[in-house]
Amino acid sequence: MNPQIRTIADLDRVIHEPGRLMLVALLFAVDRSDFLYLQHETGMNKGTLSSHLSRLEEAGYVEVSKTYRGKVPQTLLRLTAAGRKAFEQYRRNLKEAL
Amino acid sequence: MDRIEDLLDRPKAYYNIDGVGEMAGGFMCLGFGLLMWLQAHAPRDSAWHGMPVFIIYVGLMCLILHYGPRAIKKHITYPRTGFVQYRARDARWRPAILAAAVAAAVTVGLGIALRRHWNLTTPAALFGLLAAASYAYAFAKTVRWKWVVACVVALGSVVIAMLPPDLVGALADGSWQGAFILIMVLYGAALLVSGGISFWLYLRHTKAPAQEAQ
Repeated sequence: MNPQIRTIADLDRVIHEPGRLMLVALLFAVDRSDFLYLQHETGMNKGTLSSHLSRLEEAGYVEVSKTYRGKVPQTLLRLTAAGRKAFEQYRRNLKEAL
Repeated sequence: MDRIEDLLDRPKAYYNIDGVGEMAGGFMCLGFGLLMWLQAHAPRDSAWHGMPVFIIYVGLMCLILHYGPRAIKKHITYPRTGFVQYRARDARWRPAILAAAVAAAVTVGLGIALRRHWNLTTPAALFGLLAAASYAYAFAKTVRWKWVVACVVALGSVVIAMLPPDLVGALADGSWQGAFILIMVLYGAALLVSGGISFWLYLRHTKAPAQEAQ
């Protein structure tokens, strides 16, 4: 197989989906953020955002923790070490493919 | 690929989504401008020339600069558009090292200029132009109308450089500080107004979601 085509085939499909790519890129740039921030930045509705985050959590890329801000429940999200590594690899592969 | 790089920059821009970063900068510049003005007008044996007052004044400013923005973020920004905790490397070291290097260079430069009795109007104006450029880089590149503020600061700095030396000197009792006081007030006021407008726009266009799980 052509090496460039192989690079495209090797792209991480969990991250490659546009919605999840946005989330991973935003989380990569910070230590952690809450659900509301991701919703505000991406413009996704709660259901879609939850679904993408669950997929990323299943893949071991995102760590979810529940806490309270005053009396309001708050969901905090952080990219795991595996998630950071996967995103860096994804960027490298995408650069090569382009 | 560029879009991904843009996304990586978004959290940094988010810090000033409410204009708090600018208002803090404006407060700091006006605070130092006021201190310089007080030192220029106070008698030589006044407490304003002593190190204890300087340390207390700067300490109070640091406290306000540290806790003021945090309080606004906690009570207004986070409930409306979400909480972000920055990575320690980005949040502390880079700006702190840069600020320390700039402060050290400016202090050494001012010390040399003061000893040799140089006219500092032109360096002050250059400092103003540098401030306009840093404002454009930090804030105006993400929000278009802030280019107007950057241009006002740049033009204001040029105008200050062209003012008669007597007029500038009169502001600081004939001392070299006049031009720097003017630049500090100009940049501080520009930051404060621009941050205030950003804050007003933020409050107008956002509201806290219903009190439910986020």
